[in-house]
Amino acid sequence: MDIVIITNNKKVYEMFKDKYLVEYEDITYKEILIKVRNKVHEGHEVLTHPLASSVKPNETPFKSIIISKKKGKLNYNSLMVIENSIATYEKFLKLKVEWTDAVLDDFRTIDLTMIKSALSKN
Amino acid sequence: MKLELGYIYINDIKFSDLSKVENGTLYVNKEEIEAMILEDENVKSVKVEIAKPGESIRITPVKDVIEPRVKVEGPGGIFPGIISKVETVGMGKTNVLKGSAVVTTGKIVGFQEGIIDMAGVGAEYTPFSKLNNLVLACEPVDGIEAHEHEKSVRMAGLKTSTYLGKLAKDIKPDEVETFETLSIVDSIKKYPELPKVAYVQMLQSQGLLHDTYVYGVDAKRTLSTLINPTELMDGAIISGNCVSACDKNTTYHHLNNPVVHDLFEKHGKEINFVGIIITNENVYLADKERSSNWTAKLAEQIGLDGVIISQEGFGNPDTDLIMNCKKIEEKGIKTVIITDEYAGRDGASQSLADADEKADAVVTGGNANELIELKPMDKIIGDIMPVNTIAGGFDGSLKEDGSIVVELQAITGATNELGFNKLTAKEY
Repeated sequence: MDIVIITNNKKVYEMFKDKYLVEYEDITYKEILIKVRNKVHEGHEVLTHPLASSVKPNETPFKSIIISKKKGKLNYNSLMVIENSIATYEKFLKLKVEWTDAVLDDFRTIDLTMIKSALSKN
Repeated sequence: MKLELGYIYINDIKFSDLSKVENGTLYVNKEEIEAMILEDENVKSVKVEIAKPGESIRITPVKDVIEPRVKVEGPGGIFPGIISKVETVGMGKTNVLKGSAVVTTGKIVGFQEGIIDMAGVGAEYTPFSKLNNLVLACEPVDGIEAHEHEKSVRMAGLKTSTYLGKLAKDIKPDEVETFETLSIVDSIKKYPELPKVAYVQMLQSQGLLHDTYVYGVDAKRTLSTLINPTELMDGAIISGNCVSACDKNTTYHHLNNPVVHDLFEKHGKEINFVGIIITNENVYLADKERSSNWTAKLAEQIGLDGVIISQEGFGNPDTDLIMNCKKIEEKGIKTVIITDEYAGRDGASQSLADADEKADAVVTGGNANELIELKPMDKIIGDIMPVNTIAGGFDGSLKEDGSIVVELQAITGATNELGFNKLTAKEY
């Protein structure tokens, strides 16, 4: 399929690395958003919404976003979506929480299932 | 389509050898409930407890709240496609154990599930503190996946609620309320002068712990469609959603949707309430586009003058909300949106993750970032430890004396986006 998964979630990488192009890096949620914004400037299109639903960006450290493999002209919709998402991310207080490994694993699972449910439809 | 809801008022709940409803008291045989839940091989153990209004009890982490109902007359049964066969519901007579509920609790993931306090300040923020609750605390077998665990707890709640509902089948209700919707053509003939208004209900549908089911179908796999308001009252829509306690719609909310009730109240007087369009909140941007296109197209096809749109959850569903609002407005149809806010602890930040100037009529369910201190309770049902990590909780939330400081978003139903709460804000 003509997609790239940008992620900092190992579970997503492990599950999809043989099937899709997955760019995994051990970086923060915000760095994932910035990386996607850079990709948008290069002409890629954002295919899944960069914000999670209800799991707040200041809680989960993990994020996977699907973008197009193909590069075209700058897609203004994509740019708006990613810029809005970065603005929303900034709005949240940065919690000083040290999650236990079990909770971190739950966050990875939630992010993975969002990507899984997105891919299972296409 | 006409449905009579028969309310049997419950003002007490007790354990007993025989399950029955008598003189406003719900008697429950605990062993029967336990045996029924343990039929599920994924459940290792279950604790069945009672929580009444005013008792010093904290229930956490709450997954779902369900109101017991039973079909007395007419086709199908409660929770079609899940507990009952997939017959179309919403007609005939249904009895309701008003004032009671089944509450499911279970630590499915290590974060983000709700609190119901039965007394104190916290009780003021959740409507479920006013109910006589039967609480199920389910422990899964070891090594089970989160989604299987969620399903087991979901089914335990629905089965128990159905069991309790059946106790009311032959009881004469204390009060009866009738709801009727005509076909769109007949409705327009009957009220030619009144503006045609529909309700667009957005359903959370983003995968594990974020799902909603319509007649048993996972809502993320559906196109926007029409449903009769009375179908909701028979359990056509149920919650499989564990996250975001303050603004998720529990099954109780779906059964008692206040937007539907209020629209019925104005029906034939100020407006012509012609029906409901349900739509989903998916992850793919293309899905969001498709679903909102369909919502706007249906609104235009029916020939609506106005719609009320309610959201579920926060974050990327804000995008669905604004897409729905914008596209429906572009068809020349007026919209009012119902949402809640994440405006920071001082309420000064922008409330939504998306916005448009066409969204100029907004009803809010309150600011989920507001801080609240909950005093300790004598008894905890469930597991208190997740509170440090619950949405809206932060490190040090749980104090030594057992009191907790949390954001409102930790309290089940506190900023509900159907308006099933007391919070709002006013500015004209």
